[in-house]
Amino acid sequence: MGSRLLRYLALSVLILVFWFPLLWMLSYSLRPIGLPPPTKPEFFAPPLAFENYWRVNDYMAITPLMVNSLRIAGIAVPLTLLTASWAGLAIAQLPRAARAFLLALSVALMLVPAVSTWVPRFIFFTNLGWVDTILPLLAPAVMGTSPFYVILFYVSFARIPSELYDAARLDGANALQVWYLVALPLARAAVIAVAVLSFAVYWSSYVEPFLYLQSEAHYTFPVAVRLLEQAHPSNFPVLMAASVIMVAPVILLFAFAQRYFLQGSDALAQFLGRGGDAFE
Amino acid sequence: MSRFSPRVLPRVSLRAWLSYRAQLWLLLLPFLLGTLILILLPMVVTLLLGLTQYDLFSPPEWNNFANYINWLTDRLFQRALYNSLWFIVIAVPLRVAGALLLALALNRRGRGFGLARASVYVPAIVPEVAYAMVWLLILNPGYGIVNLGLQALGLPGVPWLTIPFTARASVVVMWLFQLGEGFILMLAALQILPPDVLECATVDGANRLQRFRHIILPLMLPALLLLTFRDVATSFQSVFLTGVITTQNGPYYTTYFLSHYVFDEAFGLFRYGYASATTSLIYIVTVAIVAGQWLAARRWNRLEDLD
Repeated sequence: MGSRLLRYLALSVLILVFWFPLLWMLSYSLRPIGLPPPTKPEFFAPPLAFENYWRVNDYMAITPLMVNSLRIAGIAVPLTLLTASWAGLAIAQLPRAARAFLLALSVALMLVPAVSTWVPRFIFFTNLGWVDTILPLLAPAVMGTSPFYVILFYVSFARIPSELYDAARLDGANALQVWYLVALPLARAAVIAVAVLSFAVYWSSYVEPFLYLQSEAHYTFPVAVRLLEQAHPSNFPVLMAASVIMVAPVILLFAFAQRYFLQGSDALAQFLGRGGDAFE
Repeated sequence: MSRFSPRVLPRVSLRAWLSYRAQLWLLLLPFLLGTLILILLPMVVTLLLGLTQYDLFSPPEWNNFANYINWLTDRLFQRALYNSLWFIVIAVPLRVAGALLLALALNRRGRGFGLARASVYVPAIVPEVAYAMVWLLILNPGYGIVNLGLQALGLPGVPWLTIPFTARASVVVMWLFQLGEGFILMLAALQILPPDVLECATVDGANRLQRFRHIILPLMLPALLLLTFRDVATSFQSVFLTGVITTQNGPYYTTYFLSHYVFDEAFGLFRYGYASATTSLIYIVTVAIVAGQWLAARRWNRLEDLD
């Protein structure tokens, strides 16, 4: 009995520790604007100022910024799902030698630091005249955003019994039909996981929108929040309210989708189990 | 008798002029082209531009390795390189160990464990700008919760972000919180451990530490290596925003990393050639560390086999 109590206590502490930054963000976002900062630890200072969320509008226009951010994610996420799952299916169905090469390539690509693409891509997109458009921000979606997503799809597709693929092909299905009629419906977990993870990538992205979007009308939500922080560095209630608005969609999607890639979904385990393929 | 009767499928003549395998390569095309244009070609371009002077307005000019020679006297560059290497040496092992330990602790059924696993992942998906800003508040010297807590206990507050040591430590801690990706990888690696091997060891009387050291660790080595490589690669950019927003690269450039240096040289000073040279160095550092660890692990594995 005692050890069980201890275990629950340890689990609760662990859960609280990892939620702590977000809880603190939420708590401070409800602190009335203009109230002097606290002098002793206090989690909520009544009265709770729910109007802070609305008052963010006094500093930055929430709706157009949201629309800009959502437009990018709204194009990039479906495109990512398309290209990553196509690549995943091709890798799963191609002969062994090609598969081993493509998996090794994907793993190697996962080890390319993102920093190293900043300068060459900026030169490339500037010379194309794509600055101040959203095209440079959408470009990574063409390669499935992250090779990790391609691997995730490959693993899910490779687990589908080959008889199903063969049956479809005997009936005259082409690759696109195999993808749409056999592979995708049986890899729902991968679709949801990649959709949520890639949404978080495009929604949260700061460096690329900051580099490429120069006119204010194109700014995304994170870029505006960073500008707000520079203009009002100590107005934490407003900064935290803006942060909560930025975090909420990601956390809500994650809460809905987490079981697909954290609990009981063993797609990654399968990948590591087949790791041999990638490390040959 | 299959679901895919010819009636359901429209008669598409694609198959008539393209083999199935060729169609698969077509599906792969966006990924391959994207990779070529967005990653592989930029690598080549970076290596070449690193040998030139280039401001994006006039064509690049070959400058006899001046960028590389400049490194020898550029104190800011040396500082950034030192800081980035320091960060890799200190923070990457901590984060990999943390991910492994948490996975070992939480890889079981039972009430609360599912919630705990999800909670561990949460900091990893919080948008970076918001994440950095909340830490700026938490560690605020005057009214941050950490210092208020210390003061409530009768201890003096610490200006965390403006003392060189604590500023660096804070950047490390902020990154440690975001170990979710590695945590998932470790969970997955634990799930494929053959259960019978563990049972045998228990029967043979191996204690927990022995089991971990001689059975779990060697079996998980590939996954651990993959995670370490990945953390080395991501360490370069993941400290970028925390460095800019929380410590403002200070104090005295103690949290100024290679990513900041590349960013400032390229987009602040328009020295794209010099920034490319530094980017090339990031490739070289990554490859060197990955190769070094790979060899060390192979050697360790061989020694393990001899035991």
